Formats: sequence, C-alpha cells, structure tokens
Amino acid sequence: MTNLSKNNKMKICPNCGVELDKSMNFCPLCGEAVMDGNNENIEYIRLRKQKQNEVLSNPYQKLSSKQKRKLFWEISAIVLVSGIIITLMIDLIQGGGVSWSKYSMMVIAVLFANISVFCFWLKRINLLIIGSLFSTSLLFILLDIFNHNIGWGIELGIPLLFFVYLIVYTLLLLIRRTGERELNLLTYSLIATGLLCVCIEGVISLYINHVFKLHWSLIVIACIVPVSSLLLYIQYRLKKGTDLKRFFHI
Amino acid sequence: MFWYPLDNAAKIYPATISNESPAVFRLSAILANPVKIKSFLKAVSKAQKRFPYFKVQLKKGFFWYYLEHKPFRFPVEADRAEFCRKFSNAELLMRILVRENQISVEFSHVLTDGVGAFEFLKTILVLYSLELGVQIPLDFEYLKPGDPIQEVEYQDSYLHYFKEEIPPMVKRSKSFHLPWPLKSLPRLRVKNFFVSVDEVKNLAADKAVSINDYLVSVYLYLLQEIYEECKIPKRSKKFKHIRIQVPINLRNIFPSKTMRNFSLFVMPEIDLRLGHYSFDEIIKTVYHQIRLESDEKLINKNISRNVGSEKKLYVKSMPLFLKSFILKMIYYSLGTKQYSGVITNLGRVDLPSEMAGLIDHFIFTPPPPNKMLKVCCGIIGFGDQLVLSFGNITKSTKLEEKFIQFFKEQGVQVSDEPVKKQ
Repeated sequence: MTNLSKNNKMKICPNCGVELDKSMNFCPLCGEAVMDGNNENIEYIRLRKQKQNEVLSNPYQKLSSKQKRKLFWEISAIVLVSGIIITLMIDLIQGGGVSWSKYSMMVIAVLFANISVFCFWLKRINLLIIGSLFSTSLLFILLDIFNHNIGWGIELGIPLLFFVYLIVYTLLLLIRRTGERELNLLTYSLIATGLLCVCIEGVISLYINHVFKLHWSLIVIACIVPVSSLLLYIQYRLKKGTDLKRFFHI
Repeated sequence: MFWYPLDNAAKIYPATISNESPAVFRLSAILANPVKIKSFLKAVSKAQKRFPYFKVQLKKGFFWYYLEHKPFRFPVEADRAEFCRKFSNAELLMRILVRENQISVEFSHVLTDGVGAFEFLKTILVLYSLELGVQIPLDFEYLKPGDPIQEVEYQDSYLHYFKEEIPPMVKRSKSFHLPWPLKSLPRLRVKNFFVSVDEVKNLAADKAVSINDYLVSVYLYLLQEIYEECKIPKRSKKFKHIRIQVPINLRNIFPSKTMRNFSLFVMPEIDLRLGHYSFDEIIKTVYHQIRLESDEKLINKNISRNVGSEKKLYVKSMPLFLKSFILKMIYYSLGTKQYSGVITNLGRVDLPSEMAGLIDHFIFTPPPPNKMLKVCCGIIGFGDQLVLSFGNITKSTKLEEKFIQFFKEQGVQVSDEPVKKQ
C-alpha cells in the first residue's frame, strides 16, 4: 500500500514507513521530522529520497573498504615513486652520481612496502606483521651495507626489531582475544613494556659484551610488577560491586 | 539485580560469535497495514515488565560467561533491513525492529531459541492487536503482562532434565559441505520464498509424511544433486555423508515452559557410499531417522553428552579464555563439520482468527551460517503462506534455484512475493 493510495488523514513517516498520529511532528521511532498535510508530505518524501540517492551516488562512498585501501595504495605509489625520481634527479644533477639519494630511496621503498602490506593484508594480521618485519629488516641490512658493513644490522637492529614486533603482536592479540579495555589495556601494555626492556638490554648486552646480563631492565620489571598486580587486582577483585559469586561462578 | 549462568546450548555461542556469524536470528510479522507506531509503542511498554529474564547483558566471568540483568527498556529501533547484527557488549541480547508494515524481533541464541523468541513476539502482537481494538478470546494462551512470572520460564531445562550416567553420543564422521566460494563482505544475503501451505501439505501427504519431513528430504535430495555435480576433486571420498541438522523443540517432548534455549537437533543423513538415492528413498529414510532420533531416550543421551561435559571438574575449573578457545574448536569439529545444512522449521503459527486479518505472514530468518556451512534455511507458516528464508554467504544461489525448480516440477507455485489473499 503506497502513501498515495492512503486516505488523506493517514500520516506516514517518510523514513521508516510507520503510521503516525496526526498530532505527531516527529516520528517517535526514527526521529524523522514530518510535515503536515499529505500532499506536502509526498513532495517531502520525494525530495528526501532524491537527497538520499545523491548521497549514495557519491563515487567515493560507493567504494568498499578494500577498494578504498587500493585507492590509497595507488595514490601512495604515485607520491612515493615521484619522491624517488625527484631525489634521484637532484642527486644526479648535484654530484653526477648516486650518493645521498640512496638513503631516501631506500626509506621510501620500505615505506611503500609497509603501506602495501597494510593495504592488502589488513585482515591477515600474521602476513601483515611478517611482511612489515621483513621489509624493515631489509632496510636495516641495507643501511648497514651502505655504512661500510659494520654488522650492527643483523646482530643488533634485526633482533631488536624482531622483539618489538613480537611483543606488540602478542599484546594486540591478547587485547583482541580478551576483549577487555581500559585497565586491562594499561596493565598489558605495562607488562609488554617491561618485557621489551628486558629484550632490549639482553640484545644490547649480547652485542656489546657477548654475554647475556641484565641490570636496568630488572629495575623496570621490579617497578612494573607491583603496579600491574595492583591494576589486575582492581580489574578483577573490585569489578562491579565486588560480586565475586557471579564473577567466579563455576 | 539478578544474574544467571548461560544454559547448556548457549554456552558455546560466546566463543564462536563474530560479526559475520553473530548467532542472532530474526522473527518478523508482516502486517496487512503499516504499523501504527503509537499503539505499538504502548504495546511494547505493557510487555516491559513481563520478560525480565530477557533484559540481560552477556558478561565475562573468570570461568564462564553469565547473563546479568539490566534495568533497560526493550530497544525499539527503525529497521534498516540489516539482518541479524551482532549485539555489542553494551546492548541487551534482543532488539525490536519496526519498518513500514513489518514488526521484527532479533534475539541472540545466547538468550533463547526460536520458540522463546516467538512467545515474546506473540505477546507483543497480541498487545498491539488489543491496542487496535481487536478482541482476543480469553482462552487464548500467551504470556499476559499481568500474570506472575514463573520460575519455570527462566529455568535451564537442560539441567533440569539431565540424567546422570547415560552413555555419551558417538562422534559422527565429517560430512559434505557446499563447495562454493564466499561472497565478499558483507556476506549475508537473505532471500525469502513463498509457497502455499496446503499445496506442500498435499505433496507431503502423498508421501505419507509431515511437511517438515518433506522439506528436509528435499534439502537432502538437492544437496545430493549438488554433490553429484561437483568436479571429482571436491567430491572427496571422506565426505560422502550428507546430513541435515534439524532443530527440534524439546518442549514438545518434556513438559518445560522455559523461555530460554531448550532445543536439540536430529541429523537425518544419507550415505553416498551406498550409491545414489532416489527422492522416495530419501523420504523414507528421513521419516524413520527423525522419529528414531526424536525418541525421548535418545534425546536424553544427547542432553547427557552436552550437559555432562560442562559438569566435568576439569572443564569447570578451566579459565574462560582457554575454555573459549577449546569451545571454538569443538564448535567446528563436533558441530559444523558433521552436517551439510541446517533447516529450522518453526511450524505453523497459531493465532486467534480475530488477529488473522491483521497479519499477512511471518518470516523466520535463521542465524547467518558460518563459513563452513555457507547456507541455512528457516521455515515458518501462517495461514496458507509457507515462507522459506535462505541465509546465504556464498556467491552462488544454486541451492535456492534448485528449491524453486523442485517445487515447480511438483506443480507448486513458488513466489518471491507473498501470495495475496483472495
């Protein structure tokens, strides 16, 4: 039954199509403003639908999130490739060969690789992390090679990078799995920071002294443990009026 | 503020819920005229206090999830035709949706099953009819707002009817699954088909079976066709069983009045290692399998398996995150892998004749299928309209087309639109 076929006394919400009382100026269901008089109402409905169609016909809004990401990737590619070409040209004109521009080109290439993995593997978190880790590791190796191959890239840079990725990945996974926010997020982040400190000191100590010795990171851990415990206690023990029966029901 | 643990059937859902597979189903009543919103809101308002056990949120405990009562009102929203959206942590586990001449309720399976949800919708519809001045016979049974809330309404009937020391069920082999690729996001596509109840009833009567048996047989027959049309690599030798999960309302077997989940399922099957089945052979085996598996003693065995495992101490004392992980694996290995399709039949709706002029038909949209199952079907009948609602997340609509084709070959008209009353 269309609005037109109704008798004049019936008032229909132009948005959700329910029947309204004559006295209603707004639809109590969807909040849509309703004009008096059916004829005006029909015109209003027509204009509203037209407006909605115009919004829908915006080409950018019609794109799916995947298509939007692809568009972002294409624009990034154009900008970054232009960057590579421009820096290379300037370097060539200034010095007659490739010197400083290799650094900017390398960083741009790694940035592009990271943007690519983000755009295409956003939903595949494992691939995203591995792809990003791999490309950034490659940057470290290349930087090392360009700097007379002193060996820090493989022995120091990549292990540190690996632990950063591993801890951030675990943290994200944990937060996603538990689905908790606020205090838990803070607690897990603190614990992750402590672990990261241990890893950083361990890797540096192995690189410099060739032995695994911890000093300052232990102090960080010692500070973090009581704070995290307190936060976990607040999170679980004091949760929702301390009704432990329901929380721990077995 | 009260709380209660999840019932046995609900326990698995929180671990498996995702945006794509939210374990939410929808029941819609399509009225003859646009919904009079003022009267409808009054009707909902009257029902507010009658169903306190539906005003709950899902909360995480240390060992189990639980449902916590919230003093919220039932949410009434404008229906934007997004089917079976996942409920957020801040929402109740049900919503009422209204659009034009359509009143829908969506419930999380964590809260109740189709029967519980229908009882709720029935109360809302009766109260709405009363607001419109329709006389409802006094002897018509529904949950009246003034009646006291009985404890049996929020009872966990699985626990109530659980019997110790019954041997557990034997695990079934893996079954065939539809081979089609998934549609891109948003995946779910819902398609409704309308057939005449009487025409299908006649077809079923010709074979001396019920409508439910007949439709399950059609489903199995069509899955067999799809299997046979598959290219050889996809027709894995291992998966030569085709099974359909058919939920059954346990309130028909046990004298329970619970409004929470109380259904189990039977799984009629055909074993294609034994060769091709004719339709008559399928009907025969489905008829007997459904009756055999619906036997009270066998149902007890099924309840025993489900409830027995949750009562084990090592299961009880496992922290929730670990339990959720295991439950998710069980859901696929013991659950979805065992059957090729689901067909949920809520049966024929019985309402007073005074209300018949108000309502045109009902639609039952089953919970969106998961990535393994891919297609599921919900059925409900009212008057002479039998509505088959397919939820499909694949790129193919072959199964739906085959259903239409099958009915047409049997001389039954299938329509995308409701058949208008003469």
